[in-house]
This record gives sequence, C-alpha cells and structure tokens, in this order.
Amino acid sequence: MMNQIDRRTFIYRTVQAAIAAAAGGLPALDLLSLPVQAAQAPPLAVRKGQDIPLLVRETISALGGMENFVRQGEVVVVKPNIGWDRTVELAANTHPDVVKTLVQLCLEAGARQVRIFDRTCNDERRCYTQSGIRSAVESIRSDRVSIEYMDRRAYKELAIKGGQAFDRWEFYMPVIEADRLINVPIAKHHSISQLTLGMKNLMGVIGGNRGRLHHNIAESLSDIASVIHSDLTVVDATRILTANGPQGGRLQDVRNLDTLLASPDIVAADAYATTLFGLSPEQVPTVVAAARRGLGVMDLEQVRMV
Amino acid sequence: MAVFLWLFMQTEYRGIDQLPYPVSLLFRIDPLAALADFLAPGPFGWSLLWPALVVLLLTSLFGRFFCGWVCPLGATLDGLGKLVGRGRRAFSPGWRRVKYYLLIGLGAATLFGVQLLGLFDPLAIFLRSLTLAVYPAYNYGLNKVFDFFYANDVPLVSPLVKNSYPLFRDYLMAFHQPVFALGLFTFLIFLTIVLLERIEHRFWCKNLCPLGGLLGICSRYAILQRTPQRLCADCQACDSLCRSGAVRNAGLIRSECLLCMDCTGYCPEQRVSFGLRHGTAYDPGIDLQRRGVLTAVASGIMIAPAVRIGPVTYEQNPYLIRPPGAVAEEEFLQRCVRCAECMKVCIGRTLQPALLEAGPVGLWTPLVRPRIGYCEYNCTLCGQVCPTGALAPLKLAEKQKNVIGLAVIKKDRCLPFAKGVECLVCEEHCPTGKKAIVMEEQNVLVDGQLRRLKFPKVVDKLCIGCGICETKCPVEGASAVRVINQGESRRKRAELLAGPYG
Repeated sequence: MMNQIDRRTFIYRTVQAAIAAAAGGLPALDLLSLPVQAAQAPPLAVRKGQDIPLLVRETISALGGMENFVRQGEVVVVKPNIGWDRTVELAANTHPDVVKTLVQLCLEAGARQVRIFDRTCNDERRCYTQSGIRSAVESIRSDRVSIEYMDRRAYKELAIKGGQAFDRWEFYMPVIEADRLINVPIAKHHSISQLTLGMKNLMGVIGGNRGRLHHNIAESLSDIASVIHSDLTVVDATRILTANGPQGGRLQDVRNLDTLLASPDIVAADAYATTLFGLSPEQVPTVVAAARRGLGVMDLEQVRMV
Repeated sequence: MAVFLWLFMQTEYRGIDQLPYPVSLLFRIDPLAALADFLAPGPFGWSLLWPALVVLLLTSLFGRFFCGWVCPLGATLDGLGKLVGRGRRAFSPGWRRVKYYLLIGLGAATLFGVQLLGLFDPLAIFLRSLTLAVYPAYNYGLNKVFDFFYANDVPLVSPLVKNSYPLFRDYLMAFHQPVFALGLFTFLIFLTIVLLERIEHRFWCKNLCPLGGLLGICSRYAILQRTPQRLCADCQACDSLCRSGAVRNAGLIRSECLLCMDCTGYCPEQRVSFGLRHGTAYDPGIDLQRRGVLTAVASGIMIAPAVRIGPVTYEQNPYLIRPPGAVAEEEFLQRCVRCAECMKVCIGRTLQPALLEAGPVGLWTPLVRPRIGYCEYNCTLCGQVCPTGALAPLKLAEKQKNVIGLAVIKKDRCLPFAKGVECLVCEEHCPTGKKAIVMEEQNVLVDGQLRRLKFPKVVDKLCIGCGICETKCPVEGASAVRVINQGESRRKRAELLAGPYG
C-alpha cells in the first residue's frame, strides 16, 4: 500500500511540520516571477525504438541527461496521463514503462522525492490500476517515490497574470511547490483541441470545473501553461490514438510508432508531435496560441534537433 | 457485529474488479430476503440464498438465536438503548401480535405482487441506515477534523493528525465522501426505532419486527430450552431483566426467547441452564386473534390493487433509470429488499435511493441519478453484491452491452446549439469504444457571423445510458444532456423492436 508511513518518516515529518509551523508557515511563492522559458532555439530529441526503457534513456541523454533537469535533493513531480480507466494497449494513458524509466532517471539524478499523480476522468482507483502505472511505479520500491491520489484539499485559486480566457483558476499546489515538473503526455486524437499533448496534459493538475476550458481551449490551455511551467516535456508516442480519443477503447484506433520525443520547451514538443498525426503545428490552435503568447517555439525550423 | 461492520467496510472498490469477500452475507442469511425472492416471479435463487434456509432450519431446531446473537439491529438497540435511556414499562403483551400481523400482511401483499418486506426487514433497516446516513455522517465528521488541521497549523496537533490521515483514508474511511439523497429521512426512521427503546427494552424486536415474527413461528417447537421454564417464586428477577420478556409465571414463551442466555449470568442462584429437550408443559402458542389475522391479510391483499390503479410510474417518469442488470421493473420491485448494498458499493456514486420517483412502493430502491454520478463503464460491483437477484450479476462484457437508458441532448442548454460556443465534454468522456456521442461539424450563424462549429449527436445504437455525459456536462445547474429510460435492455424485446420512439 502506498503512503505507508514508517516510524522514521513519521518523526521526520512531524519535526518538519513543527519547524515549518514555528517559522510561520511556508514562505509564500511568487508564482508570477517564475521566468518564462527562454525562447531561443530549444533542443528537441526524437528517438525510435521498441525497448521502452532504452528508448527513454536514449531520448533523455540526447538532451544532456536527466541531470540537466533535475538536481540533487530536489522534489520532482512526474505527471503522466492516467486519465482513463483503460488498459495499456488501448493508448489512452501514458505507457507505464515510460513513466517508470523517467522516475528511475530522476532518482539517479539525485531527486529527493518523486511524486506521480493525475486528476483522472474516471474513478482514480480504477485508472491508476488499469493503466498499469501504479504497479509499474510501485515496482521501483523506493521510499523516495510515491504514486498518490490527488488530495482534494491541496487546490488553491491563483491569479493568472495576463490570462486570456480566465484570470483566476484553481491549481494543485504540490505541482506549483515542487522544484521540477516533468510532463509526460501521450499523443492522442481529441475532437476539439484536435490533439491532446503536453499542454492539454496540464489539465490534470488543476481543479475546478475543467469542462469550462473547452469553450476556448487554445487560450485556456495557454493560460494554464503560463502558470505551470514544465521543466521537461516527454511526449509518449510509443503508440498513439488516432480516433475516438481521448479515451479510445478500440485497438483499431491505436497505431504503434515506437517513438518518444522530449524537449524543455513544451510548445516545441507539442509542435513536433502534431507531425506524427500528419498535421502541421499551425493546424492545432493550442500550439499556435501558446507560441503567440511566448510560451515556447512552434516553428520547427527554429528548433535544435538533438 | 464486528464481522458485519468489517464486511461493510469491504463493500467498496479497492482496486480489484471482483469483490473478494461475500459482503452481502447479511442478506444471504436473511429469511425475509429469501421470502421476497421466493414469492417473486422466476426461480428461487438457491445459490445466493441457501444460507437463509439454513437459518430457518436451525431456528426451528434451536429457537430465535438469530435475534439474540446475529441480528445487528438487535445488537445496535442493545448498545444504543443505554445511551438513550431504557424504558422499563411492561408494555401490553397484545402488542406482540403486531409483528405477526405485519408479517402476514406483508406476506400477503408480496404474494399479490407488492413486496414491501424490505421496508421492515431489520437487516435492511440496519444496513440502509448505516449506508445512507451513519457512514456518510461519520466520514463527513472525520473529514472536517482532518480538513481543519490541514488548513490551520496547530503546533503539535496538526502534524499528528496529518500523519494519521493516510491510515484513515486508506482503511477506515470511504474513498469519496458518500453523498446520498434521503440521508436525513433514513436517519430519522432509524432514530425512531432506537428511541422506542425508551418505552421498553427491544421494543422493536418484541413487537414490530416481522423477521422476529417469522423466526418466532419457526421456533415454536424448538428444542433448545431454558430451565427453569417459569419464574421462580422466590426471585422473579427474570420478569424484569429478560430483554424479551419471555419468562412468565406460567412458563417460557419459546417464540419470544432470543436465547441471549443472559439469564444464566444474572440469576443470583445460578439456577438457569439451557439444554435440549422435547416439548413442554406450557405452550401458549402464538396467540393471534382471527380478526387481526383477517385484517392483516385483507390489507395486504388490498395494497396490490391500490398501488396498481395509479399510473405506471415507469412511464410517467422517463428519468426512472435502474442499475445495469436490473430485471424488468415489476419483478425488480418484487425482488429488491432495499438493503442499499448496491448504493454502498457504487463506485461512480450514481446509485441513489428513491423517495417517490419509482412510485409509492419504490421507496429506497436504487436509482441511477447521472447528474450526481455516473455508471463506471468497467465496473460490475452492484450486480456482485445484490443478494436477491434484483440486479443480475453481469460479466464485464455483458455489462458493457447492457442498456440502462439513452442520452438525449437538450439543445436549449447545450453550448454549441444554444450559445454558439465550442464544447465537447460529453463526447470526450463517452466510454464506449466507438463513441456513442459524435461531433458533427456545421456552418452556423453566430451573432450574424458564419462560423464552423462542432455539434454533439447521440448515436442511439451505441449509447448504453451510463450517464457520464450528464455528470460531466460543464453547464451549470441542469445538465444539457440527460439520460432517459428509453430502450433499456430489460424491457420486453417486442417493445424494443417498435419504431424510433418506442
């Protein structure tokens, strides 16, 4: 069972919380002072291969290794898509082996804690189990790794500076407070945003009535991405869902591409991923809006392929 | 009691598709549930309900041990009676007949097609109150405590509370806060039964409980008996201490003795013992009056036509949707004992007790209420826990084809239609592999400008009525897509073959 607390963690956390309380609570974070990712020629790694752990390692080392993104002693959130009560082969959720290898890489890079969660669409207990992600993560057997259900109490309404669709929304604070966020979407068909990729995957760490985002999906997702910065976006295209997305359910809609792509620039990663579906970045409004708002680079000419 | 509470806690999805324990055990040993099943159309559910027959057999051999040792409502009354204060008034023994009249009346009604046994079945009352009222209140209270210490950092206390939260959340609380219609109503009924203790110890069990009546009839010739049979002339302690008032001057009323065997403990002279013996000098029988019996039978029989002369609720209320695997409505009402097991286990929180939505006799029967929650596509739990076959246990593949209703889009509410705004949440969540809601693109005039918009459309042949579209519809207030009971699998095929509108 996850979240088991042994005596040591218990005492540790107790002392920690007592100190935090004595210090007058956690220091307030000024989210808006977070720098927007520099838009100059972001690197993008694309690799193909059938051995998923190897594929993940190759892709990340092309970007200079996980040490480039995660430093010793940091708290890292790995955010896969666990949205649906679907099994691995149906390509509705991120592949468990992709998640597992990324978590291992974070540990190897010296992360103090790696947390994995998603706000699911179906019942979270079913999604975590059925997606295979729970068992994959638990098989790492490290007390520095926890796959956890979202805590309904940890959402907080924050202002979105320069928001186009919304000026406030509820965000999941553990993501905001973590040192690093690794965004691990699976590439899928979606009827309104056309595709669901890295930007859409961020919907899994916000609260509120998420359905409302769809009225103006492109600007809404850009609003969200302007608050939640992904340090690394890894798009799982080992298999993609080409129709009946985002939850699928039929094998004939799944295509195996054995591909993985990664970039510190979420827009560049999403822009490249559109080409896997035979589209161009200009055809996906979310990517266009995000690029226009300076959240990243969508022109694949300006991306440095590594 | 502890076993039942433990099973109650296990009546929840914990990551395994098949529940590992027989959580509905309580109803499988329930003779009233068996009676309802027996009198309902269709074959008797031997495989589910054989333990109930064992209980009846054991009762006729040994007496009402069930009431003294097994019944959780009885144990609850014993426990809570101390809290609310216990009456010592010797209530008129005439009242004891009421339980038999109730049993006869309910039995007659059931025979004629209106099954209300579940409303008075002590096991159903117990589990229903626990599921719909007590357990939600318990969770609510605990959550409030945890939330308080989460939001406010009280030195020393907060860390302790916070660190015990995972233990509670994972093992001692519901995963989601249970939310039920009729919570207060159910609780008030339960409270009334508890408060009856103020009149007399085990008032409910002695005077009203139809299950007690049934077991009383069975135990008339029971061979496990108490000695001495009557009150001892020098002591008479049993007269006031016996919880069921079964020991009289004339002798032991076997149909009232609950075999709790407390008398072996409190007898100052250690005279009392229980042993096996045949017959007895004193046999008061079950002293029923012909007039009472006739009244009970007549009222029971009359309930049926009285209910039937009303309009068919089922056709009146298109939102009357039953869980997957439910048998045809009429049989469903005869089988369902309102035990609330299905509502307890429902993972999507869609199953809610009916007040009048299913007609006057549908009280507490389970309804699918998609605006509150939806039926999870890959879940088959409700069919697994139903003790009487009102919900058939469906295999996953069968369940995914079992149509419980049909989604209908309300164009006056739905955003693309009504406001010219993009939305697809219903389509996105639709769980059937080939989606039962599709988006169709059209050019429309919005505020004088031509726009290309996508509009949702329900594909009737694919929709199974799970209701996730209605739950997730982002329109505030009334959903822009609603599930109606058209085209359910449980209707007769002939009806289904009729035209597009039935």
